[in-house]
Amino acid sequence: MQEHVQLTQRQINEDLLSSVLKTPRWWWPAVIVSAAIFLTGIGAFGYMLNQGVGVTGLNRPVFWGVYMVNFVFFIGISHAGIMISAILRLTQAEWRRPVTRAAEVLTVFSLMSALMAAPLVHVGRPWRADLWVFPYDFARGVWINIRSPFVWDPSAVMTYLTASTLFVFVALIPDLAIVRDRTDGLTRKFYAMMAMGWRGTPRQWKLQAVAGILLSALVLPVFVSVHSIVSWDFAVQIAPEAWHSTIFAPYFIIGAIHSGVSAVATLMVIMVWVWGWGKYLKPDHLDAIGRLLIVVATTWFFFFFLEWVFALYTLEDPELAVRELQVFQWPWSGLFVVFLFTAYLIPVPMWMFRSVRRSYFWMFVTTILVNIGMWLERFLIIVPGTMRRGDFIFDWGSYHPSIIEILMVIMTFAWVALGMLVFTKLFPLIPLFDVKEGMVFRDEIRIGRRVVPASIRE
Amino acid sequence: MVTANPKWGMVVDVDKCIGCQACVVACQSENNVPINTEEIFNQRRAIEWIRVERYWEGEFPDVKARFIPILCQHCNDAPCEPVCPVFATYHNNEGMNVQIYNRCIGTRFCANNCPYHVRYFNFWEPEWPESLHNQLNPDVTVRSRGIMEKCTFCIQRIRRTKRNAARDGEEIADDSRALNPACVNSCPTDTLFFGDFNDPESKVSKLAEKEMGDHGRGYHLLPQYGTSPNVVYLKKVDKDAKETADTHA
Amino acid sequence: MTPTAIGDDLFDKGKLRGKKFRNTVIILGILTLLGIIGFALRVIDTIGDGTHNTPIWGYHAALFAFILTAAQGAPMVAIAPRIAKAHWRRSISRIAELFGLVGVVSFLIYIPVAWVLPSMEDGRRTLWFYGELKVPAHMPEVTTTLVLLALTITGLVLLWVSAMPDFAMLRDRTTGSKQRWFAWLARGWIGSSKQWHWQKHRLGIVGAFYFMMLITAHFAYSVDFGMTLVPGWIDALYPATHAHNSLQSGVAITLIAMYVLYRFGGYKDYITLDQFWGLGKLLFALSLLWFWFWFSSFIIFWFGAKPAEEAVLDLLFVGPYLWIVFIVFIFAFFVPLWSMIWNPLRKSVWGPVTIASGVLVATMFDKIRLYVAAFSVSDLPNKHELVDILPGAVMPGVPDVLIWVGGISACILIYMLATRIIPPINVWEQKEVTLYRIHKPFHRTEVQILGKPD
Repeated sequence: MQEHVQLTQRQINEDLLSSVLKTPRWWWPAVIVSAAIFLTGIGAFGYMLNQGVGVTGLNRPVFWGVYMVNFVFFIGISHAGIMISAILRLTQAEWRRPVTRAAEVLTVFSLMSALMAAPLVHVGRPWRADLWVFPYDFARGVWINIRSPFVWDPSAVMTYLTASTLFVFVALIPDLAIVRDRTDGLTRKFYAMMAMGWRGTPRQWKLQAVAGILLSALVLPVFVSVHSIVSWDFAVQIAPEAWHSTIFAPYFIIGAIHSGVSAVATLMVIMVWVWGWGKYLKPDHLDAIGRLLIVVATTWFFFFFLEWVFALYTLEDPELAVRELQVFQWPWSGLFVVFLFTAYLIPVPMWMFRSVRRSYFWMFVTTILVNIGMWLERFLIIVPGTMRRGDFIFDWGSYHPSIIEILMVIMTFAWVALGMLVFTKLFPLIPLFDVKEGMVFRDEIRIGRRVVPASIRE
Repeated sequence: MVTANPKWGMVVDVDKCIGCQACVVACQSENNVPINTEEIFNQRRAIEWIRVERYWEGEFPDVKARFIPILCQHCNDAPCEPVCPVFATYHNNEGMNVQIYNRCIGTRFCANNCPYHVRYFNFWEPEWPESLHNQLNPDVTVRSRGIMEKCTFCIQRIRRTKRNAARDGEEIADDSRALNPACVNSCPTDTLFFGDFNDPESKVSKLAEKEMGDHGRGYHLLPQYGTSPNVVYLKKVDKDAKETADTHA
Repeated sequence: MTPTAIGDDLFDKGKLRGKKFRNTVIILGILTLLGIIGFALRVIDTIGDGTHNTPIWGYHAALFAFILTAAQGAPMVAIAPRIAKAHWRRSISRIAELFGLVGVVSFLIYIPVAWVLPSMEDGRRTLWFYGELKVPAHMPEVTTTLVLLALTITGLVLLWVSAMPDFAMLRDRTTGSKQRWFAWLARGWIGSSKQWHWQKHRLGIVGAFYFMMLITAHFAYSVDFGMTLVPGWIDALYPATHAHNSLQSGVAITLIAMYVLYRFGGYKDYITLDQFWGLGKLLFALSLLWFWFWFSSFIIFWFGAKPAEEAVLDLLFVGPYLWIVFIVFIFAFFVPLWSMIWNPLRKSVWGPVTIASGVLVATMFDKIRLYVAAFSVSDLPNKHELVDILPGAVMPGVPDVLIWVGGISACILIYMLATRIIPPINVWEQKEVTLYRIHKPFHRTEVQILGKPD
């Protein structure tokens, strides 16, 4: 970090606890607006519950639509947390320090949004799925079908949600203690209970560090398997054209990393603009994320290329017909072009320039573009596939989402916003102890006339 | 004669189908299939357990209409079965793919994975006018919204025939109209045949044996998916078709 | 150690060559000759037949795949940690880069395989859509040859750019004809800041290019020389799996080379536990990923159960080669998983090296399975689906064994001879790290501080 500024612990406390100990004027309006949008979505869901799945745009043969797209999208966003926390922690990258908690919290709320996007709501009888599947009704002596990807899915997603929540909590404990020591009354009792008696003794620090490393290592297999399993919801099926490809698992995972890390970058810029934490989230961090994104995006593009090459390689008429639909038929062709440009062709060349990577504004714009593109990518995989371009021309279908579906998609975004807003009020979003540790470990080495940044390795 | 362990199947002779859709109507009334209004057709949510697909061929004045009735193939390697999370669809020991309505939570995974698109979802709550309530078949469940349904080979008729035969101590004849699904009974041109593939003397077995071979008219739909359907189709004989390398005997 | 002492020590070792080295070289030379004899036997079989007789070249194709996967993946051990700025790579980056020279042997082994590949006119599915686009009938051979040539050349360039400062140091320490050679290789290197800057930049670009070429080479070879030969095998992930195997085997083979130099080369001061530990962790992660790549392909075929897929599963997985699949599974995944999670094994010298040997054995069997099976069905009349009876497992003939022994010996031989000229430990990187590493008192203890330059 070439622009390092050494800060005192007092300053760090003051800056980073500002969101918890003080409430800015815009916070309540933002919460109310998010909550209102979220509740509108709940209302739309209630309407669907009352009237039936017919209020959506789904039909025969397009049985899965925007709900599944949204589900996959949010599972994708949730991969950012692990990428940044676990992998960067294990590779000892110093620049991860201010970003980890925001990424992990984004993961937790994204996973909840993912559950709200499809599994809990899009089935024909949600009251059955939500009440009689969890816990399962074993009275008839029949188990769940473990061969179904829809059984692998909840196992993976719930494991991931549990692991991420644990991760957030374990990393949060020292900071909860700091907040506890600066509050009183009922608030103090709340934080004291959550901090579980943290005093900052060497033994406690050691336990916390070991727990963090163990969780990082254990959650990595989950990271790989969750999105693979979600991708297999589609890839194991033989009937929809364009889905039955072995590339889906890594393709979806790398897409998730692309989309998730971009989302974290967006979040970082918002944190700087809204909370004023520019001293902690510096252009250096965005620079590092930008370079990571170039590699990730290009790898994603390689897998995208592989998917297309081998789709055409099959020389099967249905497969070719779907590809023709995606690329040449309006409105899918328009969406396809938008997707290609927003997901790769605009952001990546822009990120090649240092000035773009170090600009808060341009990183915000490009990363939002990426996520628009990635949402469209999921849409273009899922919907044209179910529109059928198979041998029975009689059954070729079409689809466009209804207002209820749109409202429920917006609801999931509002949930993430609401969750982040409430979280920042209760807990510091930038980990204090991590940043302080970084300051302590930081040192410099003089080599001739140059000063090289360094960090302490035990 | 139907064997003790039957394997139910059908033969569809496409050459004889005239596209009258009597089978569709019969199926609907037998199985309490919801009424498909014009609006529901336009929403592409019409439920027809057996549907007649119509394809136009040629230019005016040499236009020809081709009809093919498509129903659940009751595949032996059904792709819809492994994907249901709650075992609402499974393969019974009489070779049929059965749907258990009260287990279904409506994920529609099975419908996605059916290459024949013969699975139907109740997007809306089915409603019949008061006057038609007495028309509903008491032997068949009336489904609510949010549930998948599809052709069952009129399993209620099969069960009733077997019960009656057991009660009366009789064997079930191969040409028993009480055994046949409603569509088979209603077809005016003898396009549809139903029977026990495990009985080598049944109509369906004989037809299949005769026609499934290099010189026969028999084929399965979409063999590249490897579903092993229990429905055999017999090709249409087109006297005007030109001989090509494919048609050469 | 001071930089000067490091330089002296490392260059001195270059002079340490004894009888053991010479005898090993002689044995390897003899084995290489045997390999050439085996190759000649196969050529006689082919020419005698009049046709290409592709199926008998299965083992040769597998050998090339093995060398491409293991040896040509090794330079990634130098490239990737350099981008991640991990200091522990310094001692072993040259060991990894030296495998670029093996690329020359690899390319020579490839040429016969390109010769016997059937033309696209036989109607099989290919990447080139021969029926639809009007490309020349031998596009696969031409493109793959060009890609492999580019890969080999890039590997050599990488080695050269990385070794340039060392060549300059050697130029300054030798006399006579040797000095003239090193002067030519060093290209006027004097160690000015401009030159260091240029070198660092070049290493980055050449490294990135090598990675891209490696992926492309795996894509081209695995598909055009493997997948297209098996009717009905459509696996979009296979090129990526092949490339990943290369990363895993590259790490494994570097570990083996490291161990040989550690034990017999006397480089214990430079190749320490840190290096084995670092690569051990990497090998562990890559072995876990091996399972993920394998399973991602397998689950699609197994669940889909289409006739075409089941036939491919039969040929490549559960049919005649099932016992190979077991061996591969155990040594590429199962053993690394259950042993490397155990800290004492992972953080040791013997642990990662033993596991690496297993990984290389697994890779060898894996490539044999894939390419021998693919070549054995390359002459079936139906090019779009595997039908009727599958061929049984093809056992190696005497020429095949000779080719394998000779090919691997040739690779080891060229590597060993190279270490006589190019120091196997990167001298300038070792000197550089002394600048970045200091020890300082810290509270009541002393810590090591590592610089992380931008």
